[in-house]
Amino acid sequence: MDTNLQQDALADARIACHVVDIADGRLDPAAAIEFVSDDAHGGIDVFIGRVRASSHGRECVGIHYDMFAPLALTVFRDTAAAAITRFGPKAKCYVAHAKGKLAVGDLAVVIAFGSPHRDEAFRGCREVIEAVKHQAPIWKQEHFIDGHSEWSEGCSLCGHEPADATADGAAVTHSHAHDHHHDEDGHAHHHHG
Amino acid sequence: MKLTVQLFGRFREFSAAPEIALDLPGISTVAEFRAAFDAWAGAHWPGYTPGLLKASAIATESTLLRADSALPADGRLALLPPVSGG
Repeated sequence: MDTNLQQDALADARIACHVVDIADGRLDPAAAIEFVSDDAHGGIDVFIGRVRASSHGRECVGIHYDMFAPLALTVFRDTAAAAITRFGPKAKCYVAHAKGKLAVGDLAVVIAFGSPHRDEAFRGCREVIEAVKHQAPIWKQEHFIDGHSEWSEGCSLCGHEPADATADGAAVTHSHAHDHHHDEDGHAHHHHG
Repeated sequence: MKLTVQLFGRFREFSAAPEIALDLPGISTVAEFRAAFDAWAGAHWPGYTPGLLKASAIATESTLLRADSALPADGRLALLPPVSGG
């Protein structure tokens, strides 16, 4: 693995989590596929998030991703572990997210989930990307072609429950009802997905 | 209590530095920190409104903190506004 990748030393052999500073390197979907490949696996699902050229009907030139990397890696690892618990002990999961100033077309996030069968691969991958979007301490600042920049509206993190409240010991929980706005795919806020 | 507060996302617009050192006396819990920090920010950050802090989580490098959590002994906290990754 490249030295510019910050690998979570606590991850088990089925999980790889990375934060990649765009100044040092780029996300590598081939590495994600390679990591989750296994002779026991018949299915691999990959989600690639990519910076797109418009938001709120305005033309974008790029996105700056800010991140609290230590906690983000914990969220990546915990959500990957929860997905593996839910969708099969033989599954493998790879999570990588970029930080820094990305241009249109750059890759922001790569998730890969490999498992013996396709249904678990699709569902595991979906669960992990949703957790990355809603639970990881990551913020995007959109830069528009007119020179303006705006931080995206987001999803409030919740510290109301004890860290050991979930079966998998996830440090960050998101299991209770919310009344805030979720910036779902398909809304104008998102640049990819 | 002497604290080092890391700033992310929208909070970065209030400070050129990514973290600030504060001495907020008489506080020991996260809830007390919220109240004290809100007062400090209102006095020092032009344009600050309490809504951003209310929508934000407070965390260490390993976990989110609850309102009744004790502040960490090392005094290092992170202010996490609503997230928008992916």
